[in-house]
This record gives sequence, structure tokens and C-alpha cells, in this order.
Amino acid sequence: MPGKPKRLLNKNSLGWDLVQNKSLYLLMIPVLAYYLLFHYLPMYGAVMAFQDYSPMKGLFGSDFIGLQNFFDFFDSYYFWRIFGNTLIISFLSLAFEFTTPILLALMINELRSQKLSSVVKTVSVFPHFISLVIVCGMVKDFTSMNGIFNEIFKLFGYDGLSMLQKPELFRPIYIISGIWQNIGWDSIIYIAALMAIDQTLYEAAEIDGAGRWQQLWKVTIPCILPTIVVMFILRVGNIMNVGFEKIILLYNPINYETADVISSFVYRKGLIDFQWSYAAAVGLFNSVINLGLLLVANRLSKKVTQSSLW
Amino acid sequence: MMRLRISSLLIAVVLLLSVVLPTTAQVYPLKNAPTLTYWMNVNTAWSNRFKTLGDTTFGLELAKRTGVNVVYTHPVPAQFDQSFNLMLASGDLPDLIQNNFLTKIPGGPDKAIKDGYLLRLNEAIAKWAPNLTAYLKAHPEVDKLVKSDEGNYYAFPFIRTDPYLMTYQGPIVRQDWLDELKLPVPVTIDDWTVMLKAFKEKKGATAPFAMAPYWGPTNAAWQSPAFVGAYGTLKNWYIDNGKVKFGPSDTQYKEFLKLFAGWYKAGLIDPNFALSDAKQRDAIYVAGMSGATVANIGGGIGYLVKLMEKVDPKARFVAAPYPVLKKSDKPEFGQMDLPFTGVAIAISAKTKNLETAVRYLDYGYSPDGAMFYNFGTPGVSYNMVGGYPTYTDFIMKNAKLSLQEAMGEHIRGSSDGPFLQDKRYAEQYFLLPEQKAAATLWSSTNAAKHLFPNLSPDKADIAEMSKIMSEVNTYVDEAFIKFVIGAEPVENFDKYLATLKQLKIDRAIAIYQKSYDDFLKR
Repeated sequence: MPGKPKRLLNKNSLGWDLVQNKSLYLLMIPVLAYYLLFHYLPMYGAVMAFQDYSPMKGLFGSDFIGLQNFFDFFDSYYFWRIFGNTLIISFLSLAFEFTTPILLALMINELRSQKLSSVVKTVSVFPHFISLVIVCGMVKDFTSMNGIFNEIFKLFGYDGLSMLQKPELFRPIYIISGIWQNIGWDSIIYIAALMAIDQTLYEAAEIDGAGRWQQLWKVTIPCILPTIVVMFILRVGNIMNVGFEKIILLYNPINYETADVISSFVYRKGLIDFQWSYAAAVGLFNSVINLGLLLVANRLSKKVTQSSLW
Repeated sequence: MMRLRISSLLIAVVLLLSVVLPTTAQVYPLKNAPTLTYWMNVNTAWSNRFKTLGDTTFGLELAKRTGVNVVYTHPVPAQFDQSFNLMLASGDLPDLIQNNFLTKIPGGPDKAIKDGYLLRLNEAIAKWAPNLTAYLKAHPEVDKLVKSDEGNYYAFPFIRTDPYLMTYQGPIVRQDWLDELKLPVPVTIDDWTVMLKAFKEKKGATAPFAMAPYWGPTNAAWQSPAFVGAYGTLKNWYIDNGKVKFGPSDTQYKEFLKLFAGWYKAGLIDPNFALSDAKQRDAIYVAGMSGATVANIGGGIGYLVKLMEKVDPKARFVAAPYPVLKKSDKPEFGQMDLPFTGVAIAISAKTKNLETAVRYLDYGYSPDGAMFYNFGTPGVSYNMVGGYPTYTDFIMKNAKLSLQEAMGEHIRGSSDGPFLQDKRYAEQYFLLPEQKAAATLWSSTNAAKHLFPNLSPDKADIAEMSKIMSEVNTYVDEAFIKFVIGAEPVENFDKYLATLKQLKIDRAIAIYQKSYDDFLKR
């Protein structure tokens, strides 16, 4: 029995592996099918970006117009504004929404009381389960003319106008509410990584005379660094993907200048103005930049920390 | 054998008769009609008590009268446009689609027909819609509006049959405050400034002029022809002596911006105007913070009086004329709709029941059907009193339902649809004397001279037009708010005009001018 496959298949070949681990491969099929069906198959729709697409004519019947949609976008009066806003909001959220969960995880890790730690975890995760529409409704209410934040800031000399009516306040509102909503949820993965750290390392450090700070810097951080790097790379790959939902729930013509981003622009073009092909072209442009950033981040991290996605 | 022959003979005779004597009396109810599907907006007058229009008394009775069962689909109001676009994109179309086909389909109805969404109905209407055909023949000026540029009939239009129904919106002020302060109803812009100042200083109003939306989320009061009209332009397209003009690119527009910026600085405009919604609007009035706005006759004056009844029973609202610069002037601009604005019911290219659909829709243009759409069932919702269809107390004085709700349940005259709207509905719908006076006051303008007809540019120009206008509209909205709140000084108006030029507004005007010239030749 064991002799036969040896003759037919090389030990390093895929076929050999398939036979050896067939149950594992079987387990993989649903996931593979999911990606093929929902992530790779729909990609043919990107053809739309090079067409004057009309749903009734379909992808095969619509006229090809080459790169016209892309040129139209680069020529658009709003190109630099939405491009800039997308970058700024992305980097701000990378700087704050990405780092704060790590800090929270470290702080929870340092808590001595089990009870307090689980209370903090529950309370901080909770906002994640509130629907985004409701979160934005709350933000709007709290920052409106008679909203609670407005009333509080009035005590410190704020003029009392609705905060979303001020372009310069849009980004802070966007980022702070984002932190509030996701800090607990995003910290879960770091907490898990922290729990996986071998306790003997701490004991050894203590014997060597390391204080709490030194333990943090010399043991904890290096141990969860691979997790942070992977999360960072994934995040960078998404840097241009500022979700349109939250933006369109919060923006209005007064704060367009700081709030309008590529995805909200695509949403308006595609679903409100009917320019499907144009919207597809803008979306494709966005994805290409994302892919580039992902490759760069991965390369960099390989060089600097030796950990990378592939 | 014999039996079969007799019955087939009978069928032959009936068929022959129906060909020879096609009277309307025999058409409805239609026999063995298939079920139709109908996509349309909801109306709050019934939507909080019924799931679909088909469940209302009106819907049930209509099905009985026409013999056609209809399955209605109603999108969520807040996502109306998206639902519409997604429906088209999916290609999964119902038999009947109601929307404004002139404003909601970029490229207009002709393109929708060419792209294979809607059917061209010229032959079908000629064959199966005798009532609509007769009306359009008798009213060539309406026929011109209902047809597309290329001469296509693309839908069954909602037609307002009387000028009384086409003007329904204008400036309103609080009568009780005017009386208290011994001020007249404002006529000129200067009167307005004086009045708003008095409201602020003597009545403590913090938002003397409220601009919250009254008729949809995007059409706030600043879109109204009031105020901007006094300076001889509009917030939108209009016609001036045969020339197509885009108001926000006119030089006079600067004067209007100056006025609003000045008012805003002096605290005469609701400081949160750009973000206000219906809820905040109500709060502003209930708190006695505002004394003037632009509103509709029904949903504005009537609604506000009712709203204030509990908090301030003295509150009264009165219509003010469209403001002018000099007292002797007649307002040049005012709100006035065309008899047909584009709201219509089209038949999708996916339908398998064209004849039934056409006949079903034609009902509302027959004398019998128009009465039913506007007044409902005799004995239930109206009675003929001296030849005048008078709503019953069940509609007018219903203990449980507001007038709007009672009408929403029994008729469609108070909303829209495939029928001829009757003036006599509105005469009874406007209960208060203030409302009746408003309609007359607001319609005494020169607005008819500037009415911008339903234009659909050539196919080649459509894509360019929508590309230009989507950028222009974003820019104009944004710039307007910035000018008013002082984020951008009005002195920079020339820069604003230069940007509009850069966005190719001149090209857009030229495209519309060309289609307007074609329209005149239609």
C-alpha cells in the first residue's frame, strides 16, 4: 500500500499532498468556493469601467470607450479634493484608530483585578454591536445645536452652532466616534496575543531585575509585534477604503470640503447619478492604489521586522 | 358536439359585438385580467396604517372597478432614489413604474426607451387608451409636455387640470406676531428685513426666518423662488424671453447672496439652516423661535396651525406675497408647476401584459375613473350636492383620522397617479381661509413667463449634460451655504463665477438652449 503512490507521485508534488491530507483539503473547499464565487468571479464586472455601460445591454453588449472614464475622473474639478480627503482621513484613522486598541489591550493586560478587567472589556466592546446608522444618529444628535456635547463645550466658549456645520470639526468627530465604536472590538485580537505569551518569560525577566516598564518593552511588545505587523499590513492595504456608509451618514454640503472621499463620491456617481461606468472606474482606481500600498507595506515589513503576509 | 358549437357561436357573437360597440361602459371591469405589479412611492397619508396602496379602501375599490389586481411594491422613502436605480440596474422590472421620469432618469425618457427599460407607448395608447388620447387631443399644450423630444409617449402622466392646483407654495409669516407688533404683511425685501428684525428684537426669536425643508429633504426654503426672485433670477433653470438661463450663474444672483449673508450675520436666519430636518423645524416653531418661512398650503400652513394649537393657540400663519424690491412691482418669479411635471406611470419593457396595463392605467382619464380617483366612492367618501362632488363628513370631520389621512385612505386626488387631478378636490382640502387666500396670492406673479419646460437633450449631449450638472450642482449648493454663513465673502462672487465657467456651465446652458428651441418646434 504505501509503496504504490510513491511510484506514481513525487513526494513534493501537489498530488501527493492532496492524497495525504485529503480531509484537510476537503475542509478548505467551502472557503475556497466562497472566495471564488464572491470575490474573484464578480471581478469581471470591472470591465464596466472601460465601457459606456447600460444594464439592459449587459456587459457584452455595452460600447467600449477605453480609458475615457478614468480621464474624466482625473480631470474632474473634485479629483484632488476627494483624493486628498481620502488620504487624510485614512492616515488619521491609521494613526488613531489603529493604535488605540493596542494601548487598550496593554492597559487591560496590566490590570490586576480580574473583575475590573472583564468589566472594561465588556463595556469597551459593546459599542461595536450598535448599528452604524444608530451611531451616526447619536453623533448627529449629540453634536447638534442643543446636543449634549454642544452644551458642554458652550461652557468653554464654543459658539453653539451645530458641529457638523463646521468643516474643520468633521475629521475629529469622524475619528473620535470611530475610536469609541471599535476600540474594544479591535483590541480583542491583541488581548488574545497577550494571553498567548509564555509566562515564564516574565518570570525570567523578573529574576533578571526588570521592572514593569522594562517587562512591557522587552517582553510584551516584542511578543505581540508579529500580530501588530500583520494587522498593520492589512490596514495599509485598506488605506484608501474609507467606508462610504459613515461618511454619507454624517456629511452635508457644508462639510463636503473635508468629508467627501472617493467612496462617497463613487456612491453618489453610481447610485444617485446613474453613472455606473464612471463610478466603476473610480472604484477600480481606488483598488489599484490599495493593492500597490499593500505590496509596499509588505515589502517594508519584511525588511524591517522579518514578519510579513507572504 | 351541439353544445360546443352553440357556445363557440356565442363567443363569436360576443367578440363581434365588442369590436363593433367599444363603449367605455363595457371596458371596465376588465375580464380575466392578469395581475399586474406596480412600483411606486408611499404616501404618509396611508403608509402608517396600511402596508400597500392595494390594502386601502381606495386600492380595493379600484381593483373591483377595473377588474385588475395589482401587487404594489413600495420602496423605503429615505432610499427612494437608490431603490429605483438598483431596480433598473437589476433588470428585474415590474409591469408599472411610477416616478418622475424627467428628473430621476439621467438622459430622460427617450434614453430609457432606447436602453430597454421602458416601452414606447404611442401605438398602445392609440389602440387601448381612448380616454387619455381624447384628453391629450383636446389639450395640445399638455400633449406637448407629455411627449418626449423625439415624439414618444413614455408613460401615463399625472395631470393637474387647473392653475389652482399648480401653485401651492410661498412665503408665510406669523399673523399674530405681526398684529402684536403692528406691522403689515411684508411686501418688499426691506419690509422683510424690518419684520425679521422686529421678530428677533421684540419677540426674542432666535431663528426669525426658518429654512428647514417642507417638501422633501433636499428642497429647503432657500431653493424657493421667494427672495431670489426679487432680484430677477432663480435658484435653478428658467426661461427669459426665449433664452435659457441658469440662475446661480447670473450676475444678479450676487445681490441675493448679499441679502442672505446680511440676514445671517444679523441673526435673522436660522443659524442651523443647512442641517435642519423636519423634526428640528417643528421644534423651532413649538419653541416660538421662528416667525417666517416658505411653505406649502397644505403641508405648511395647515400643518403648522395644527402643530401650534397645543402650545400657542393664538398662533396664526398668513401667506405673504412673493417679495419684490419696489412696492409697485409685480413679482416676476413665483412657484408654479406645469400641468405635467414628469410624474407618471411608465410600463416596463419586461411586461407581458401590455394591453391590460394600458387599459388599467387609462381608467383614471375616463370621466368615471377621474371622479373615482379624485373623490372616491359615492355615498362613502363623497356625495353630489347640487352638481358639486362634496366630501362626506366621514372624510372632512373624521374623529379618528386627519383630513390628509382620511383622504389618503379613500382617494388618490390628494397625492398623484395616473389620472386627471380635479380642482374641486383642492377647494375642499384647504380648510382654512388663510389657505384659500394663499393660493390666489401666490399665483399672482409673472412666473408663467419663465416656466422651464420638460426638456430632454439629444442623446449625444445627455452624458455630457449630466456630468457637467452633477459637478455644478454640488458646487452651487456648497458655495451658497459658504457665502451665506460668511465662510466665503460675497466679494469673491467673481471667483465663484469663474469656477462655474471652469465647470463648463456655458456648455450646459447651450445644450439646454438647443433643446428648448427644439421644444418650441415640437
